[in-house]
Amino acid sequence: MATLSSDLHRRVESRAAARTVDARKVYGKGQTEVRALDGVSVEFETGRFTAIMGPSGSGKSTLLQCTAGLDTLTSGKAFIGDADVSLLNDQKLTILRRDRVGFIFQAYNLVPTLTAIENITLPLTLAGHQGDQSWIDRVVQTVGLAGRLKHRPSELSGGQQQRVAVARALATRPDIIFADEPTGNLDSHAGAEILQFMRQAVDSMNQTIVMVTHDPVAASYADRIVFLADGRIVDEMHTPTAERVLERMKRFGE
Amino acid sequence: MIRTTIKGLLARKRRLFTTALAVTLGVAFMSGTLVLTDTIGKTFDDLFGDVYKNTDAVVRAETAFEGPRSTGAQRGRVDASLVGTVRGVTGVAAAEGQILGYARLVGKDGKAIGNPQMGAPTYGANWSDNPELNPWTLAAGQAPRADNEVVIDKKSADDGGLAVGDTATVLVQGPPQQVRITGIATFGAADSPGGASFVMFNSPAAQRLVAEPGKFDSIAVVAAGDVGQANLVARIAQVLPPRTEAITGEAITKEVQSETKQGLSFFNTFMLIFAVVALLVGGFMIFNTFSITVAQRTRENGLMRALGASRRQILASVLIEAVAVGVMASVLGMASGVVVAGGLKAMLAGLGFDIPAGGVVFTVRTVIVSVLVGLAVTLVAAVVPARKAARIPPIAAMRAQVAGSAGYGSRLRIVVGGVLLASGVGALLLGLFGDSGNAVPVVGLGALLVFFAVSVLARTVSLPLSRLLGAPLPRIRGAAGGLARENAMRNPKRTAASASALMIGVGLVGFITILASSTKASIDASLDRSFTGDLVVDSGAGMAGGGLDPGMAAQLNGLPEVASAAGLSRGLAQVGDSPVQLVGLDPATAFGVLDVKPLQGAPGALGRDVIAVHEDVAAEKGLKLDDPVPVRFKDTGDQTLRVGMIYGEDQPVGRYILGVAAFDANFADRYDEKVFVKKADGVTTAALRSAVDRVAQSYPGADVFDQDQFKADQGRAVDQLLALVYALLALAIVIALLGIGNTLALSIFERTRELGLLRAVGMTRAQLRSTIRWESVIIALQGTFLGLLIGVFFGWALVQALADEGIDTFRLPVSSLAVVVVLAAIAGVLAAIAPSRRAAKLNVLAAISST
Repeated sequence: MATLSSDLHRRVESRAAARTVDARKVYGKGQTEVRALDGVSVEFETGRFTAIMGPSGSGKSTLLQCTAGLDTLTSGKAFIGDADVSLLNDQKLTILRRDRVGFIFQAYNLVPTLTAIENITLPLTLAGHQGDQSWIDRVVQTVGLAGRLKHRPSELSGGQQQRVAVARALATRPDIIFADEPTGNLDSHAGAEILQFMRQAVDSMNQTIVMVTHDPVAASYADRIVFLADGRIVDEMHTPTAERVLERMKRFGE
Repeated sequence: MIRTTIKGLLARKRRLFTTALAVTLGVAFMSGTLVLTDTIGKTFDDLFGDVYKNTDAVVRAETAFEGPRSTGAQRGRVDASLVGTVRGVTGVAAAEGQILGYARLVGKDGKAIGNPQMGAPTYGANWSDNPELNPWTLAAGQAPRADNEVVIDKKSADDGGLAVGDTATVLVQGPPQQVRITGIATFGAADSPGGASFVMFNSPAAQRLVAEPGKFDSIAVVAAGDVGQANLVARIAQVLPPRTEAITGEAITKEVQSETKQGLSFFNTFMLIFAVVALLVGGFMIFNTFSITVAQRTRENGLMRALGASRRQILASVLIEAVAVGVMASVLGMASGVVVAGGLKAMLAGLGFDIPAGGVVFTVRTVIVSVLVGLAVTLVAAVVPARKAARIPPIAAMRAQVAGSAGYGSRLRIVVGGVLLASGVGALLLGLFGDSGNAVPVVGLGALLVFFAVSVLARTVSLPLSRLLGAPLPRIRGAAGGLARENAMRNPKRTAASASALMIGVGLVGFITILASSTKASIDASLDRSFTGDLVVDSGAGMAGGGLDPGMAAQLNGLPEVASAAGLSRGLAQVGDSPVQLVGLDPATAFGVLDVKPLQGAPGALGRDVIAVHEDVAAEKGLKLDDPVPVRFKDTGDQTLRVGMIYGEDQPVGRYILGVAAFDANFADRYDEKVFVKKADGVTTAALRSAVDRVAQSYPGADVFDQDQFKADQGRAVDQLLALVYALLALAIVIALLGIGNTLALSIFERTRELGLLRAVGMTRAQLRSTIRWESVIIALQGTFLGLLIGVFFGWALVQALADEGIDTFRLPVSSLAVVVVLAAIAGVLAAIAPSRRAAKLNVLAAISST
């Protein structure tokens, strides 16, 4: 039994690209205490596209940031693969982010002095290696930037900039990509494009993506949605549609 | 509006402080200079006030001529018999002959006391038995009675380990003397006046050893009863022989005090130049900081305008900030002046310029000048950024913030910069090579214009320069290096402005270094050509006169190892309207050791009525062989000498030479400043040296140099000045570095999001620090590069202009300049320490979530 259980456990563990165990994040003390995360245990499976949703202040961004190692938990644990994020110092955490995690932020998240291709390969350059050229070519091809690689961010549209950001997140072939409202600053057309690229990355490149969003349409691109309210997981939805998500979200208002 | 400005200021205390620091340092330096010179001035005022406290009149020879800067009026002595004559005048209570000249005491360790070449002078004087006319107080022992007895000042006694009853050697005119110390005296409360050393003989001995027998330098007179000073002088004047004068005690006090002040004013100006440089650099930093903050607050100011603030109000808000910075900086700087004054004094002492100073003098003038200048610099520097802020349209509130500038700057900038540069270079060259009477202001203006022009044009060359300087970075520092280079290039205007501040200091350092090395090279080259001997005995005596007994040269000539030994004497005289240095040489021996390159006439012609002139003098004055030259001596008055030789080498003999016969005939005091020695055939240099050393042993204070040591010694004054100038320019460079640090800090503040992003995608803290450090190095090197460009040009131009003054060799000190470049790079690293640490500590999450 013991063998079977630990075997099962290992398999579960290996399926999760990242997970949290009883994650708690508390801001302030006493009267002003805010529990942004109040005992969240969640797993983000490898090769799947997970969305985190919830009303403002539900703790969805905090969950993403703590899991990604950008912020620290008050108690509980967060893992990227087998690595306990809470045990790593700044140096190790930075290298973990550089080599195994990709990020897509809301907007304006390119280095203005670098060209598109330099931005895409930035994590690789920081690590001091070339990376896999054929992979990078494929990524660039996928996001459709081939003609604009020598441009600086100021010469690109918002949608194009975000495509560069998606390409950068994919460039190191990370274990997991965290996206925080990646379409928040884009019009619906450009937003749909970005979501399409992310979907493609999961389907044809076997990437793992965790995305925070408040947009039901964006969330409908995911395989699974985790709903947060008041720092707790309150619901889950698999193979969502925009209508179902909207329905579910409306219930938070009640 | 004022309240929002003040609230804004308080919210940015740290930046306010670093910005203010630039001005504070400049003002502190200025205030320190004023405090120090005031203090020294007061010390001397008090000193001379004490010396002449009871003197109602002074009788002395009339001024023969005014000596060159800081040597004062040159006059001869009066006959000792005049003392009796003056005593006979009704209304005179007492009259005493006074002597003040060169003497130098040798301490118990056999070393001569004091350092008259750089520090306070060493004097020989006569001890006055009239307590009213004697400013000294015996601390131990008694007055000198016998000719071999002396009283010395307490400082010399302490320095030399000498006590009452000791026998000591004293260097005087003629051979060194053995004397017995009968007393040790203090000067009022001080151990010695102004740190000078005093040996006081009885009058006959002082006449013989310090002055000349039967003469006094002056006569001090005390009035009887209520005879007024003016009345007394009028009565004495009636009995005086021609070319003698009497002046009141008040007048002599004022005269001596003002002479000191004149000497000080040169020092004052010298130091204030560096204060101005520091303030100029500080101004650059203020300009830069305000420009950046105005750019960063474009949205905020746009919002203000949209909400109804007028342009005038925006302008005022920036200027109020400048006033706050200026006032704070100036007041702090003014107060720190006291500390700086102490530091300057210690630094000067460390470099060998020991200056006496009593209690600190802090005048109202210091307060007013410091605060006004500090405030003015800050305001002037802030005007352009303030006007720029006022021009921000309300719509800026709605626009995305575009900080920075790209490319090469406007055409107008290039034109203005070009015109400034051309006029600056023009003024500089006109001042240096033109015939204008007062070249210094023209040269100064030209130099200032060149600095401004280059700082205007720096923005145009900044982009390619950063690209070039940063070229190796991506290879040696990877991604961090590449980003550093991009960051230095992303805002050329800002990079150029930060670099410009450093450019000024480095430019001056480069210039001074080149000038110094060229001067030394010229001296070396000239000595190589003219000094054909082997050893030089240097007296160690300073500008106040004194030196070796001419008997020493004779003694050396008697040695079998010596082919010839030539003493070189120096004296002041007036040729035409200007005071000049004359050098006395013995034609029988000197020209075998010193080859002055006679062009016309021969050394043999240097007799009693003959003068030799350098070819430049001959050309200037249109003199030919046998032409008459009117010369005025302080001891013998007007004489007409005949040109007996025209020569081509001015080291070490200067531009006028007298033969020993003419020199002896016209100068009462006879000292050799140096003795040049050439070895006899078949004698080794070592053998010569030991023979010369044996003779020199009985002349403490004298140094024996070989050719290389002598050249090094001649260059030492240049090195010493160089060290002083470096130390003073260091301030300007420190301020410039603060400026670079400040610019970086502001840039980092501006790039918070970007830095957060870099950290998020995997840039380590070390890499981030490295990025900022290398950006700083690029800025520093850019300033250094431009500075050296200017420095080399200034140095070259000045050396060309000084060719007539004997600086005829231009030498580019490549290794020294390389050191400057390396130091600048290191300085860049240092400037980046604080900003890079702060950037590395940035909270990643806070950085990326801030908008």
